[in-house]
Amino acid sequence: MTHHVMGVDGSYPLLLVLWLLPLAGAILAWAFGPQLKTAAGWICSALVGISFICAVAMWGPGTQSVSGALGAHQALFSWLPGFDFGLLMDPLSLLWTLIITGVGFLIHLYSIGYMDGDRAFARFFAYMNFFVFAMLTLVLSDNFVGLLVGWGLVGLASYFLIGFWFFKPSAVAAARKAFVINVAGDVGIMFAIFMIVASVHSTAFGDAFAFAGSYNSGWLLAICVCLFIGAAAKSAQIPLHTWLPDAMEGPTPVSALIHAATMVTAGVYLVARCAPLWSQNHDAQMLVGTIGALTAIAGAILGCAQWDIKRILAYSTMSQIGYMIMGVGVGAYEGGVAHFFTHAFFKAQLFLGSGLIIHALNNEQDVRRMGGLMKKMPFAFIAMLTGVIAISGIPFLGAGFFSKDLVIQGALEHGHPYLYAVGIITAGITAYYMCRLLFVTFFGSYRGDVDPSELGIRHPELAGTPAHGADQAEAEHEGSGHGQAHHAPAWIMNVPVAILIVPTVLIGWLMFGGDNSPWAHFFAQQFPHPQLSPAPIGEGVTGLITFGAVLVGIAVAWWRYATASAQSRAVERLRGESIRMPGILTHAYYFDLALDLLFVRTSQLFGTIFGRFFDPQIIDGAVRESAFSAQWLGTLVRSFQTGLLRAYALLLVVGVAAFMIYYAVIAGGVHP
Amino acid sequence: MIELLLILVPVVIGAAMQFGRDDENEKWSRWTGALVAAVMFFLALASRGTEWSFRWLSRPFTSAFHFGPTAISYWIVLLLAVCTFSAILAVNQPRRRRFIGQLLMLEGTMMGLFLARDLLAFALFWDAMLLPVFFTLLGWGGHSGTAWRYFLYNFAGGLTLLLATAAFGMLYGSTDVIGRTDVHLVGAWVPWIFIGFSFAFLVKTPVWPLHTWMPITYSDTPSPMVAVVSAVQSKAGLYGFIAIAMATMPDYVKTYAPWLIVLGIVSLLYGAFIALTQNDAKRIVAYSSLSHLGLIVVAIASFNPIALQGAVLYIIAHGLFSAAIFLTLGYVESREETRSLVRLGGLGASNPRLAGALCIAALAALGLPGLAGFVGEIVILTGVFQAGLVWPAILALIPIVLASAYMLRLFQGIMNGPEVPDLPVRADLNWIEGLALAPLVIALVVLGVNPHALTTFNPSAYNATTVSQGASK
Amino acid sequence: MSQMMAVPVSYYVGLSAVIFFIGVAGVLVRRNPLIMLMSIELMFNAANLLFMAFARAWLHNAGHIFAFLVITVAAAEAAIGLAIVVTVFRSAKHVDVDDVALMKG
Repeated sequence: MTHHVMGVDGSYPLLLVLWLLPLAGAILAWAFGPQLKTAAGWICSALVGISFICAVAMWGPGTQSVSGALGAHQALFSWLPGFDFGLLMDPLSLLWTLIITGVGFLIHLYSIGYMDGDRAFARFFAYMNFFVFAMLTLVLSDNFVGLLVGWGLVGLASYFLIGFWFFKPSAVAAARKAFVINVAGDVGIMFAIFMIVASVHSTAFGDAFAFAGSYNSGWLLAICVCLFIGAAAKSAQIPLHTWLPDAMEGPTPVSALIHAATMVTAGVYLVARCAPLWSQNHDAQMLVGTIGALTAIAGAILGCAQWDIKRILAYSTMSQIGYMIMGVGVGAYEGGVAHFFTHAFFKAQLFLGSGLIIHALNNEQDVRRMGGLMKKMPFAFIAMLTGVIAISGIPFLGAGFFSKDLVIQGALEHGHPYLYAVGIITAGITAYYMCRLLFVTFFGSYRGDVDPSELGIRHPELAGTPAHGADQAEAEHEGSGHGQAHHAPAWIMNVPVAILIVPTVLIGWLMFGGDNSPWAHFFAQQFPHPQLSPAPIGEGVTGLITFGAVLVGIAVAWWRYATASAQSRAVERLRGESIRMPGILTHAYYFDLALDLLFVRTSQLFGTIFGRFFDPQIIDGAVRESAFSAQWLGTLVRSFQTGLLRAYALLLVVGVAAFMIYYAVIAGGVHP
Repeated sequence: MIELLLILVPVVIGAAMQFGRDDENEKWSRWTGALVAAVMFFLALASRGTEWSFRWLSRPFTSAFHFGPTAISYWIVLLLAVCTFSAILAVNQPRRRRFIGQLLMLEGTMMGLFLARDLLAFALFWDAMLLPVFFTLLGWGGHSGTAWRYFLYNFAGGLTLLLATAAFGMLYGSTDVIGRTDVHLVGAWVPWIFIGFSFAFLVKTPVWPLHTWMPITYSDTPSPMVAVVSAVQSKAGLYGFIAIAMATMPDYVKTYAPWLIVLGIVSLLYGAFIALTQNDAKRIVAYSSLSHLGLIVVAIASFNPIALQGAVLYIIAHGLFSAAIFLTLGYVESREETRSLVRLGGLGASNPRLAGALCIAALAALGLPGLAGFVGEIVILTGVFQAGLVWPAILALIPIVLASAYMLRLFQGIMNGPEVPDLPVRADLNWIEGLALAPLVIALVVLGVNPHALTTFNPSAYNATTVSQGASK
Repeated sequence: MSQMMAVPVSYYVGLSAVIFFIGVAGVLVRRNPLIMLMSIELMFNAANLLFMAFARAWLHNAGHIFAFLVITVAAAEAAIGLAIVVTVFRSAKHVDVDDVALMKG
């Protein structure tokens, strides 16, 4: 079988450098953390920055196209025949690499300020750098096993960072939950790998895609579904999304980098990477597109019911990834990937902005206890405002508008009018809950000194306010140096946010111009472009309809939270809303409960039955029974052992006599 | 001659260490033991391709003291040397000199087992290697019933192994067959011989439902000893399946393969489910061993060359991570005087190095990509699926998810959470304890990134008849 | 040589059988270990008689050699047996074999 390599084979030292530098940083910070102290943060940030520069320098090789081979390929080593490893840098992985290292660099810088004074400062940066390395492994691998290695390692980094404050039981449980659900996803990818190896005897993308047309459709559907199980777990798609809101237990920069900008979009990357497989199977496209749309709207609705600022953002992340998955699912790869690209900026921006607030308010995360922050924190307000504009999709003012329209229009072009409709409705809901977040947080007057019960906060631990171990977390986080309760964000936290404002507002213009946009050119050779019949509704009209939905969302939010009368009665309104919130929304459709009953409890039941009953009673019981029967046999034989010498002699004689009689009479004599 | 040294030196030194009065301050014994183990490692490294033979029976069948590593056992012998080295450094039991002597004798007898090229020698060392564990259980374990249970179960296996060996010799005329590719046993008696071998191998591995000696043995045996037992001794049965059963009677193995697959899958699931609910840290690892080794049984029974390569990888990987986990749990137990997850918690804050070691070992055990366990799992299952065993492959994926749950429960239950006030606070790992774990952890990472050295072993060269049939299926 | 075999072998066999069963009966019915030893001695001698008779009949030396061997064994056995009897007598003050039943299971 010929070997199909994607990308131009060659030696690309820059590629190796940009891949391995974060690993070096992780090892350095991990091994010499106590010695490096705060220098660890600067070193790790610098290494990611250098990685970013290398990634930019790889632009040329990454986008080159020589006789059908797109990008750069560097062979590494081989486990055994069929399991060959290498790095592949093509436009798709280049895009991800730029985001991972670029946005990653900014978030690293921000973390130097955010994590300042934490006892495990160096350890934090070791994990962050390790995450960058793992994520680069994921997107740079030229084969499924390498991708799975990266896939598992980002899961590990995520586990470490969610459980970073490991003395908090809630953080520990959230970390474990995230890891186990992601392993369930890994298992899906593993099974897809089995099927691919069974058909093409190789794990390389090139081999798998070269024969995509030759698989039978059931087989291909099975491969796609299994791959998508992995994608769904990592990208928090229904029903494997329950870990993402809990993952907000991690420090805010972690939420920004891992649980918003990069790792959770790995599922989008996977589907986009396997575009040659998905394009061959309409059922798989339908399935993925539908789940994406479902997640988009379900996440958006849950976003309306949350009070924890990070949880609101978490559900919005889930919802936005739903958009991306819908885009790449239906075949609008450029659109899905574009939304990943803009989302990385504006969601990082939103998380970092919320981090500024949380940091300033001493780890307060409940928006009901905020309010009126516009005057106190104008910079945070501007940061959040640009983010909200971008995510809501207000035309031309934010990046999200362009990419979201690509996805929504793409769904229609690829023949999915229902998904198109869901996309538009979700855009309206998104605008509503993001503006709600903005208004409740920044408008009106400060409610931090109001008694929580008056705001309807009955169970602080359910509302997401740090409860268990919060005091210890506080002590850890503040360290010994800081005495004051509030401390203004250092410039180091503001600079990355300020830088991010630029792409959050402007980057969407790259996608402007239809087929002639820089975006379309960048991906011209990356994705399959089937011939499509023109959509019944043009791009401009779609934009207008979406804008209409967004305006409705904003208007409702304004009416409910931002009008003068609403602001004057804010405390009562919030209390009323908290109390009247339907249980199905506060419990996130009871998915946690269902998964717990279905899998966790069942497994524990099995374990208990096997361990407490089956092992000691049935199996050991059988062993005991055989021991008893041996004992009974022993008793029987023992009765012959009278101890009387003459009895033994008699037995001997009888035995000899019996033999003699047998041979003489029955056997008819001995014949030597 | 290297083989003779590998077997005799540890046994003789170990036996010599049993004499004399007890003296608690014998630091030299640890360093002597470690030195011997280190020398054994380098000797083992040099033993590749060497053989030594001395015929001692010509009737009723020919048999010889024939020793030399095979393509597979070379790696197991290296694993044994590494694990013994680590275990000896980790010994902190009372009567240290005698304990280390037992470890050395265990090393020597297991060297004999894995180096044996003759079935009779294999069977003799099979029984011999039970004795150091038995005496350790009597001398250092909690309950003498455990020792007897361990011994009776495994000795029963040894008995059927010996009978099967004798029958094999009578039938074939020679027992000097391990590592040969031209032996092909046929005849009406062969199924019985196969069953005799299998019983011994299945008890030793162990495989459900012959496993009930294992959890209590693993939890009662002191950690350094159980590290070696679970890492290497449990591989004797699996090695026997590959090197003896598959190599000399492939047709019969194939006939019984469905049963082996069923037993392997049941072990996989059963062990994983039980591990989820245990509270004794060592029992969790014991049941996880049942689960992991079931996977290797499935791999062997699948008759697929890729799965077999994966089996060898996983044999080594499981040895490394189970030794590392047991040694780390030993450190935890010696510090906190308990290994109950109900009592333990929050150690990570004051023992970051200990937490790091347990973390890496637990991650390798749950099959984290990038560590050795993952390589074995994915290669095995790829092969199993390729062999057409779709359902076993699917069922074998469930324990991977369960493993992540119970291994994290183990790790987090000990290291994470708030600090428990009534637990004694002890110092973190010292450099000797770290040195004990270092070779295991380094090997886990190196093999996890690139296990190429291990996969140069080619199962189809090992027995052409065995595997070509499997691959063409 | 044949005229020397005035007595046919079957007579010797018959005599030997009679002596042997006298010995067997002695072992089975007597409780005094000395008598039992003597009875065993009788059985040995029955065997010896057969050895000699067949050696004569077949003109082969092996029978003589075996007879010597048996005599030696008998002597050794008698020595050990008497030693046991003496030991038992010392501890039990009498020598009834039915009372020596320490091996009872």
